[in-house]
Amino acid sequence: MKVHVKAFATFREVMDSQFDMDFPKGSTIRTLLAELTGRYGGLGELMFSTPDTLRDFVNILKNGRNVHFLSGLDTPLDDGDVIALFPPVAGG
Amino acid sequence: MQKNAGDDRYRRQIAVVGEDGQEKIGKTRLLIAGAGGLGSTAALFAAMAGFGTLRIIDPDCIEETNLNRQLLYREADIGRQKADTAAKALHAMNSSIDVEPVMSAIGTAPVRDLVRGIDVVIDGLDNYPARFLLADAAWQCGIPFIHGAVEGFYGQVCTIVPKTSPCLRCIVPNPPPVRQTPIIGVTTGVIGCVQVTEAIKLVTGTGVPINDHLWLWDGIRQKSDRLKIERIPTCHVCGNNEYQIPAEERVR
Repeated sequence: MKVHVKAFATFREVMDSQFDMDFPKGSTIRTLLAELTGRYGGLGELMFSTPDTLRDFVNILKNGRNVHFLSGLDTPLDDGDVIALFPPVAGG
Repeated sequence: MQKNAGDDRYRRQIAVVGEDGQEKIGKTRLLIAGAGGLGSTAALFAAMAGFGTLRIIDPDCIEETNLNRQLLYREADIGRQKADTAAKALHAMNSSIDVEPVMSAIGTAPVRDLVRGIDVVIDGLDNYPARFLLADAAWQCGIPFIHGAVEGFYGQVCTIVPKTSPCLRCIVPNPPPVRQTPIIGVTTGVIGCVQVTEAIKLVTGTGVPINDHLWLWDGIRQKSDRLKIERIPTCHVCGNNEYQIPAEERVR
């Protein structure tokens, strides 16, 4: 199945802005992040405080819905999903 | 009619928003929260556009490190109160508007008092705890809250219209920690201008506000994106439009 990935703000300094990825059925957000952190050096450090713990401010949206309020890293991927990786900025 | 609506000052923009639109701008009371990079840009363009009242809140004094982006201040202003200095600069820019400086931090003064009588809030704050306090109060009062934030060459804007949009807590459920943010001055210029654009659109009924998505600016690639955001069904602020704020928490 095909998933469209979009990265925003400072994540773009270590990865491409947007691209498609193919995953087998049954894959989850965790699968996607493992693939991305393997592909882009520096992304793992930006996103994770420990190998299993996402940094608090990393917002991952599945079709506009924050996975924090779905099933977190175990949120299943579906064909055609748009996954947005979004570190909100704070300054004023 | 706004007292200066017939002046040449507004002639070029009346051609865009009409006499009626200019009158609406003149009757609008804006709260500008924070008189830093975003707030000073937004306040300047709001004053020039003729917004009738600007209430500017900031507890800080001007420092040299502010001068790369906070365009209301000059070197001679270092050490002076931001809100008061901003008010004088804005009044010099447009003497027909009212400017109310408030020298306090969000959270130290009662937030409900700060939004009383206000029509639109512009977010020029630099941290999410203060933003959530103010955005919640604005939501409870039915006041649109135009969120803006920046870091480096990146920025974001969302116009939160109560009962219509997701609230700020849905847009940014996981905020970054409070810290000193690296900022290029031009980014606060871009985002502050977009925020005032949203305010003008809202009060004149022009176009469509950025109210069901987050608008993201990438100054490195000169590219903007729209990120669709959905309400969190369990959100205690906006998840259920029938939710009633407990009486003791209601904005007075």
